Amino acid sequence: MNRGLLVKSVRDSASVTVLLAMALLLAEGLLGYVLPTVMTQFSDQLLQVPFFRTIITALLGTDIGDSLVPTTLIAIAWVHPVVLAIVWTHAIVFCTRVPAGEIDRGTIDVLLGLPVSRWNVYVAETIVFLLTGLLVLMMGLLGHRLGILSVDRDKRPGVGQLMGIVANLYCLYVAVGGLAFLVSAMSSHRGRAVAIVFGILLFSFLLNFLAQFWSPAQAVAFVSLLNYYQPLPMLRTGVWPVADMMVLAGFGAVMWTAGGIWFARRDICTV
Amino acid sequence: MRGVSVIVTERLVRRYGQRTGIEDLSLRVEEGQLFGFLGPNGAGKTTTIRVLLGFLRPTEGRATVLGLDSWRDTRQVKQDVGYLPGDLRLYSAMTGRELLRIFGMIRRRDLTTPGCDLAERFSLDMAVPVRKMSRGMRQKLGLILALAHKPRLLILDEPTASLDPLMQEELIGYLRRMASQGHTIFFSSHTLSEVERLCDRIAVVREGRLVADEPLEAIRARAQRRFTIRWATEAAQASVAAPGFLQVEQRRDRTWEGNLTGKATELVQWAAQQPIEDIAIGLPDLESLFRRYYDQGGVEAQHAEVEGS
Repeated sequence: MNRGLLVKSVRDSASVTVLLAMALLLAEGLLGYVLPTVMTQFSDQLLQVPFFRTIITALLGTDIGDSLVPTTLIAIAWVHPVVLAIVWTHAIVFCTRVPAGEIDRGTIDVLLGLPVSRWNVYVAETIVFLLTGLLVLMMGLLGHRLGILSVDRDKRPGVGQLMGIVANLYCLYVAVGGLAFLVSAMSSHRGRAVAIVFGILLFSFLLNFLAQFWSPAQAVAFVSLLNYYQPLPMLRTGVWPVADMMVLAGFGAVMWTAGGIWFARRDICTV
Repeated sequence: MRGVSVIVTERLVRRYGQRTGIEDLSLRVEEGQLFGFLGPNGAGKTTTIRVLLGFLRPTEGRATVLGLDSWRDTRQVKQDVGYLPGDLRLYSAMTGRELLRIFGMIRRRDLTTPGCDLAERFSLDMAVPVRKMSRGMRQKLGLILALAHKPRLLILDEPTASLDPLMQEELIGYLRRMASQGHTIFFSSHTLSEVERLCDRIAVVREGRLVADEPLEAIRARAQRRFTIRWATEAAQASVAAPGFLQVEQRRDRTWEGNLTGKATELVQWAAQQPIEDIAIGLPDLESLFRRYYDQGGVEAQHAEVEGS
């Protein structure tokens, strides 16, 4: 592996990674603190509102039962749209940098003028993507652990359960990243690549949402990436969703490979 | 050193859908050569360079650089190539020094010392982030990054753009020294004067096709010179018929002006036998020759010229 390419990738993406890691730390800290401590006080009233119940069920992808116990609320902290938006933003922003971003800003001429193959560049970007994603999620986990300090010790999920959620979310991150790498490899404009990936994720989010109360959507919900990310059952049972994680990781790997092949064969034209 | 082909293209074609980038382009650049690649904007210069660097796959034909296939072996090719793009863009958050360090790591060589030497020569502050650099400073940095590893082949696309005249002189001097040490320079430009100042061989491309490829001296020899003859008297002017190697365009006030189509020595010998008061012969007028290459109407004629040579 070319160390220079790794350093270049880290240097080029450091600011956005630090920013989003801090954002996830803050978001998870706040959600981890606010949801279990404040919302349990209004649990009964909130569950009387059908719309609220539907929203929570749709977000979690499973029935929430008759009361909002801390476990349910902790799970909400991991499927909250803000959290998903931060994680997806990192994946999309990072994975559309090469080649679409580099072509868009014209720096690919200098980069590919160096003695590196396109696969070298692609793999180096991927390694940094995987490591920085881990960092961002670990910051989220740290924020969450700090946030739920106010919850009774016996009602807090164990580290193993939280790690299971983070691992599942990481697989979702990998799937989104793989998709973004493929779209980026096929595009010469970063804005277009970002818009396409964002559109696909929005569709995935809405499909998963609708599937909770609309049967036609339920029939095709398996195509939604979010169908394979459901923290609440994991928190309840403590069993890691290995099959879901494999689906997400497999999807990411296939997309990534297709992206790499496309990038290696395509013409690079900045003018 | 000379005689080894560093760049060879054989009937190279590159099309963008219906549009032609380059058509049937055959070139050969020898080691140690200062090769000028000249053509108007959109002629196919940058497309040729992009094929040579493996950014574009040829539609037809073949290109080899340093004996390796430009598409298949692109990574190995660029071990010994330095490249300055025409529209240079660098990572804006990084400083010159950082870029030099990272490029050195990628090339697996220490470029700090040679890079800093070049920065001193080109008067560039390497501690400034790229986003705070002027266009000229960025161009200097691009040159340093292309030159620091002392490549066997240097491909420069419009390198003097945004450089001041002093820096242009410095660069040309540096490139000449590199060529004298066996490095090959492939210098792309649309400006004749800078190619003329540096290169010893010139290829002209127009609408994707090669319309000329010969040593600068041969082109100079073919280029016409302007002349001015001042006759001693009006009567002398009126009585003398212009020889075949003079194209007289103006005759007034005892003065002839026009183009010399033959050799300067012919004119000198002829003039010595005439009642002439003064005579001036200009340098070969390459501009007008190249304007003919560039002109639509001149292309067919130049084709015939190239094929015949």
